[in-house]
Amino acid sequence: MVPADPLMLRVARLTAAGLGTRIGFSYDEVEDVKIAVDELCFSLLGSKGRPGSLELTYRLNGDTLTVEGVGRFEGGRAGAPSDLSARILEAVVDEHELVAGDGEPARFRLVKRRSANRDG
Amino acid sequence: MAEGRPDKAELFEQFHELARTRDRAVRDRLVEAHLGLAEYLARRFANRGEPLDDLIQVASLGLVKAVERFDPERGLEFTTFATPTIVGELKRHFRDKGWAVRVPRRVQELHLLVSRVVDELSLDLGRSPTIDEIAERAGISGDEVLEAMDAGAAYRSTSLDAPGGANDDEDSRGLLGQLGERDPELVRAEARAELGPLIATLPEREQVILYLRFYEGQTQSEIAQHLGISQMHVSRLLARSLQQLRERAEAGDDGNGTTPA
Repeated sequence: MVPADPLMLRVARLTAAGLGTRIGFSYDEVEDVKIAVDELCFSLLGSKGRPGSLELTYRLNGDTLTVEGVGRFEGGRAGAPSDLSARILEAVVDEHELVAGDGEPARFRLVKRRSANRDG
Repeated sequence: MAEGRPDKAELFEQFHELARTRDRAVRDRLVEAHLGLAEYLARRFANRGEPLDDLIQVASLGLVKAVERFDPERGLEFTTFATPTIVGELKRHFRDKGWAVRVPRRVQELHLLVSRVVDELSLDLGRSPTIDEIAERAGISGDEVLEAMDAGAAYRSTSLDAPGGANDDEDSRGLLGQLGERDPELVRAEARAELGPLIATLPEREQVILYLRFYEGQTQSEIAQHLGISQMHVSRLLARSLQQLRERAEAGDDGNGTTPA
């Protein structure tokens, strides 16, 4: 659980990168997952952050890294993802989902699998 | 955050008053009303080794200059006018400090080492190397590889601070000519059509990279090969363009009329 402040993004990104490394992500895959974490957190927080907190859950399962975020903000709803955002996420992760949440906590989820074309 | 803030018409009126009277009290009120903008821009430069408070102070100084120079008759939105002035002030601040202070020398060296190893290994293996493979070849730990990769983000400020800074010599090599038989103009036109007008505000090479990555689904390594630049450089440019697109989209969303035509 971190403050909903973009300065915390580096921590969120590095955690994803570190965990991806544990399951053998390639350089490309690590960069991709960092882009995705950035993109989703930005969708929730904007560049200025919001009063509130962001709870991030990372899961490793075999060759798969899942990151889930739940934002609890004071007032206002998180912005809806743009078309560009969706396009970016499609290109960098296997699954992604962002629910801005009216009244409910905003949440996102991303799934990145290690590519199959190598052993290890 | 908008509560208690004077509305646009009121601010416009005050700018006219300032233009007429040069009254310091009016100036101060206008500065006060736009401190949010200064802080917003200062935050864009945070995490680069300078305390945020200092940056806000530098940005506020830029804001004062902008308020003093703004001519309401020219029909520009104040924020449109003030942003480059404030950003200029912040950049000057960093330029004066020199970026080496912000990225420790050790990390800079790691960055260069990892950058070289990533490219070598990609060639040797015919695929994107894992972090462990990079670490082994470079003789450093996996965490150091990640740290070096992340240092790319710090370089972003370099390119902001110093146009034509580190690695930009690669720009002069006619990179777009290296898209093979593809017409670079066509790729850019496709990029604009798909990604919208905002993308046209980016340097042309970044437009091409975004398009290849997100619309043609090329990997960063493939793009690096295509353009004849290092993979770390592709990562850096991608990260930078995405950040700029977000900032600009956000600025446009504020409804202050800065959306590019």
